[in-house]
Amino acid sequence: MKILCCVKRVPAPGAKINVTADGQDVDAAHLGFTMSPHEECAVEGAVQLIEEHGGEVTVLTLGTGDAEEQLRYAVSVGATHGVLVEADTIQWDPQRTAQAITAAVQELEGDEPFDLIMFGNESADAGGFQVGIRIAMALGRPIVQGIKGVEIGDDTIIARREIDGGFEVYELPSPAVLGIKEGLNLPRYPTMKGRLASKKVELNSITASAAEGGQVRVKLHRPEETVSETVILGMGAEAAAAVVDVLDELGVL
Amino acid sequence: MRNAYMTDELEAIYEQTVDFVAKEVTPHGDAWEEAGKVPREVLQQMGELGMFGLRVPKEHGGLGLGMLASATFSEALGASTFAGFDVTVLVHTDMAGPHLINSGNDAQLAEWVPKMLAGEAIFSIGVSEPDAGSDVAGMRTAAVKDGDGWRINGRKIYITNAVYGDLTIVAARTDLENKYGITMFLVPAGTEGFSVANKLDKHGWRCSDTAELILDDVWVSDEQVLGTVHRGFYETMKNFQNERMVLVGMGIGAAQAAIDMTNAYTQERKAFGGHLFDLGAIRQRMAMNQAKVDAVRASMYHAAWMHDAGQDNVKAMSGVKAWGCEVVNQVMYDCVQFHGGMGYMRESAIERMYRDARILPIGGGATEVMLEEVAKRSYA
Ligand SMILES: Cc1cc2nc3c(=O)[nH]c(=O)nc-3n(C[C@H](O)[C@H](O)[C@H](O)COP(=O)(O)OP(=O)(O)OC[C@H]3O[C@@H](n4cnc5c(N)ncnc54)[C@H](O)[C@@H]3O)c2cc1C
Repeated sequence: MKILCCVKRVPAPGAKINVTADGQDVDAAHLGFTMSPHEECAVEGAVQLIEEHGGEVTVLTLGTGDAEEQLRYAVSVGATHGVLVEADTIQWDPQRTAQAITAAVQELEGDEPFDLIMFGNESADAGGFQVGIRIAMALGRPIVQGIKGVEIGDDTIIARREIDGGFEVYELPSPAVLGIKEGLNLPRYPTMKGRLASKKVELNSITASAAEGGQVRVKLHRPEETVSETVILGMGAEAAAAVVDVLDELGVL
Repeated sequence: MRNAYMTDELEAIYEQTVDFVAKEVTPHGDAWEEAGKVPREVLQQMGELGMFGLRVPKEHGGLGLGMLASATFSEALGASTFAGFDVTVLVHTDMAGPHLINSGNDAQLAEWVPKMLAGEAIFSIGVSEPDAGSDVAGMRTAAVKDGDGWRINGRKIYITNAVYGDLTIVAARTDLENKYGITMFLVPAGTEGFSVANKLDKHGWRCSDTAELILDDVWVSDEQVLGTVHRGFYETMKNFQNERMVLVGMGIGAAQAAIDMTNAYTQERKAFGGHLFDLGAIRQRMAMNQAKVDAVRASMYHAAWMHDAGQDNVKAMSGVKAWGCEVVNQVMYDCVQFHGGMGYMRESAIERMYRDARILPIGGGATEVMLEEVAKRSYA
């Protein structure tokens, strides 16, 4: 089978994130980058599927040359090919991003569609929740979001979505599109051999072309740092009375 | 590209190792220090990921890389800030493992290499003794021929990985006429008469286990002789430069982490109407420390490259070991100093790193011994 995973290069969590002077972008000078946990799970899920059923996983990202790092990482954990859809920045609006990726997917597919396309449920930075859905619409394929389980049926894709106290199970005709959520699996580490392979793999590059969409960024703003204070009320059982006092004061008892 | 010697391959080793230690080592290291042990599961996980095979030839399941790979690997391990962990790994892969790879026969390689690669068997190297450290000629542990094998009696001290490890490569005197008439033996843990007399209590490297060992009438078969009888000393010499280098590598990795930590700390810490880092005395000293670390790193990679290019690097690597390990200690000293009282507290990483660094100019060839190696090769 042929699976496509679309991933986005995002700032690594935990770092202090600053905004550029013009308020249009995140200041990347001292940041590490990664792909979002949703997408890491999507790549892992795809690799597990081809390990079981055979086939190939292609990983695609839209962005600048820097985003090669995320493609190579995906190869180090088992993806077969990497495709960079080259754009001047990663932060295109969702309509434009979706258009460009749709065009790239059509170019990659020719007459042979991917059996399954996986997205992260939403990107870890912008969190627009749009790109996967727009692309599925453009390609005329079914999509389900929030997926935490994927299996392959006879000409179908079976996807599970977590709901309160259970799962909803969807059976989609292939080719289909899924928005994957963290928790689908526990992504593996790269092996040393995988890392070496990822450095050697030849990446495919497609120039992105799409008109700007309607959504415009006005300004990014970094909120004031809130200084929080930690008060140790006591240790062990002795702290219980003090905790009760505080809860009482807050009116939650 | 991190430096001129880097290739895609080495870059991959660096990334892999730095990522691994950031996720699987640094967050747990304090508990391991407390326990005096690196959990076997972590070592096995590294084994599964192929991280123990850099120097193992391809035909035996490794990657078959050279000394530059060890330089990269050790520097990346150093970023963990837990040198006790780093040395646990490096004794296995770069100080004990290479003796098996260099001198093992087919049967020995078939038996031990797969376990070594998987982290199923952790290796140690037993050379030092209470009366034989820098001067190996003082070795008293002796093996005498006994039937189809050898009977070994003696004592070993300061042996890394030998409390919880599985295989010790033991050096014993076999030719009483010749002070370098030493033979190496493969002695698995649990062999009758082979025991841990003491788990040693150390100043640093707390999560690395260090043993005092007793060999009391230990019988090993001829199949357990590693390499050629009486030639063990010369055979182990083949790995000396590598052993020295990885100690520098892990030291430089740690020193860089310490510099980064200290720069960040002093840039946050308010004093005299600004931050500590605004003070010339501090920023200049830290800048000089960075320059020294850069110089040691560059000369280490260069000496490794010399080896991989087929050149003799004994003089170069001995110099790097001497100077590099001293530099690491100077850097740690300054980093504690600029952390102030916090640097003296057990809860701070820098306090541990300062203790950990102290062994580097002593073990694997003391600074003075290294300088003799340089001096001997410096006559006009
Ligand atoms: C934590 C730890 C782990 C170790 N792990 C291992 C291991 O796994 N396997 C193993 O076999 N050994 C191991 N060692 C032993 C280590 O290699 C020795 O401690 C080292 O070789 C020095 O020997 P020594 O302690 O007997 O010191 P000595 O030989 O007594 O030397 C003491 C000091 O004298 C000076 N000195 C020595 N020789 C000269 C000289 N020629 N010229 C000028 N000055 C000199 C040096 O300053 C030296 O530090 C370990 C040691 C420690 C502390």
